[in-house]
Amino acid sequence: MDTALAYKERFVRGEMKATEIVEKQLSFIKEHDPKIGAFLSLLEERALKKAQLLDAKRRENKPLGKLAGIPIAIKDNMHIRGEITTCGSRFLTNYQAPFDATVVRLMEEEDALLIGKTNLDEFAMGSSTENSAFHPTKNPWNLMCSPGGSSGGSAAAVAARFCPLALGSDTGGSIRQPAAFCGLVGFKPTYGRVSRFGLVAFGSSLDQIGPLAANVKDAALLLEVMGQHCDKDSTSLPLPPANYLAELQGSLQGKKIGVPWSFLSSLRDPVASNFKEALGLLKELGLSLIDVDIPILKNSIAVYYILSTAEASTNLARFDGIRYGLRSQKAQTLSEIYDLSRDEGFGDEVKNRILLGTFVLSSGYKEAFYKKGQQARTLFIEEFRSAFTLCDLIALPTAPSAAFELGTFHTPLEMYLQDIFTTPANLAGLPAVSLLSGFSSDKKPLGLQLLGPQLHDAEVLRVASAFEEALGLCSASPSLEAKP
Amino acid sequence: MDFSESELEKLSRLCRIELRSDEKMRLRENLSKILSYIEQLKALELEGVAPCNHVLPQLKNVLREDRAQETLSREEFLKNAPQHIGGMIRVPPVIRMEE
Repeated sequence: MDTALAYKERFVRGEMKATEIVEKQLSFIKEHDPKIGAFLSLLEERALKKAQLLDAKRRENKPLGKLAGIPIAIKDNMHIRGEITTCGSRFLTNYQAPFDATVVRLMEEEDALLIGKTNLDEFAMGSSTENSAFHPTKNPWNLMCSPGGSSGGSAAAVAARFCPLALGSDTGGSIRQPAAFCGLVGFKPTYGRVSRFGLVAFGSSLDQIGPLAANVKDAALLLEVMGQHCDKDSTSLPLPPANYLAELQGSLQGKKIGVPWSFLSSLRDPVASNFKEALGLLKELGLSLIDVDIPILKNSIAVYYILSTAEASTNLARFDGIRYGLRSQKAQTLSEIYDLSRDEGFGDEVKNRILLGTFVLSSGYKEAFYKKGQQARTLFIEEFRSAFTLCDLIALPTAPSAAFELGTFHTPLEMYLQDIFTTPANLAGLPAVSLLSGFSSDKKPLGLQLLGPQLHDAEVLRVASAFEEALGLCSASPSLEAKP
Repeated sequence: MDFSESELEKLSRLCRIELRSDEKMRLRENLSKILSYIEQLKALELEGVAPCNHVLPQLKNVLREDRAQETLSREEFLKNAPQHIGGMIRVPPVIRMEE
């Protein structure tokens, strides 16, 4: 698979003009995306205009940005000024963003070519991209299967080679699980490392933007550009940007990887055997493995779905049909505008979560659910902290299975249980990466997840990079000619 | 935990979503299943554990200088409004004159 850095090199060396890159990718997308459904919209005009500016810049020997010549897709819950942001929802079908998300501004300042906006579960609520109000996305490795979710469109776009990099958002695993299902690198940075300004909020204390990439280097490159303090996000860490690319080098000697074995007793093949092989490879790299005990992990799903839905129910209260978005044609009174617009505009899963979140915050239940969830969250932070006194990173599988077929899960709870290994990193605000660790016997990608202490993003990426190099599979990509 | 119809009605009012009769049954079943699952928290020993509001201990009361900045223009804002009139958002009358 072509990496983002390869695109950049071709452009910088003059082997390909930026306009040629954009035209080639757009025509490839138009040919193949109808069977995948990765994109909700293409930014044809914008990308070509930017490419022309970039070609002129190169001709005039002006300095080129870190992302020069790299086509990048963006999950459609982040704003690009003047373009539509749908969040995969009927509510926002025609919503035109009046400002740029900070990540969009930072990427364009470094000369990225933003080529399209990708499909997602409505408001990023889901683990399969089947909850999009527009269409499901298919996994390029197997068109019967889900690419994962909620950043399924971004993952499918990179796996299908529509673009070498894409942005996702991760509230409970929405970058990492699609990365695992599509054979990619997906990175959720430390909470607060990347500005959330311009990302439509789902669970504000959990949400974090991050890259989906063909390899760890590309993910580090994008994080280097996006990981900047932003005064428009009060949870943005006031830290100088880091050199994630340079920090990929360095010794792993003496590093310890913790494995919470008691939490993994129900692992089944192919994930179980692949996870053990991945641990074996880490050992060969000179890392030592130790058993760590983090008993609170078994409560991840319960705590996550209490806190994330509570936050979602308040965040989504702003969609009232008054100022923007859908307004029910049937509404005659002000009350009906609220009640009917929200019924017509939101899909089933969003309603499930708003109702659940409202319930756990409601008088009489708040103490029993929301407050207990917040207390349990403290235990996640404390238990991870004490585990990290014994080890440098923690390894987990990314998902309990390889990509499942579309339509596999019939109730929300069954789908929620798929997030068992990814939600802990969000609850504790930790950096976590998923990367390709091999394939199942039916040729579906599998993912290894590495978690680090807060602000140890560079260390997580360094170990991931060494693992990736030792495994030697990151050039693998699916054939788009294959029949489902 | 079972979720009664009256509880769903109350919730629907609290979150301002008019639920259609065809979706009520499904939503009740979904919520009952999820609530039964999350009730596992009752078994956790949480006496004396402080509730977590924020995962970044280094950030407290983040304030910035109060300075004038450009804001969205009225025209730009109204582009996304479902109905507007005379530069303002249009809504149905809230107060009606008595006959």
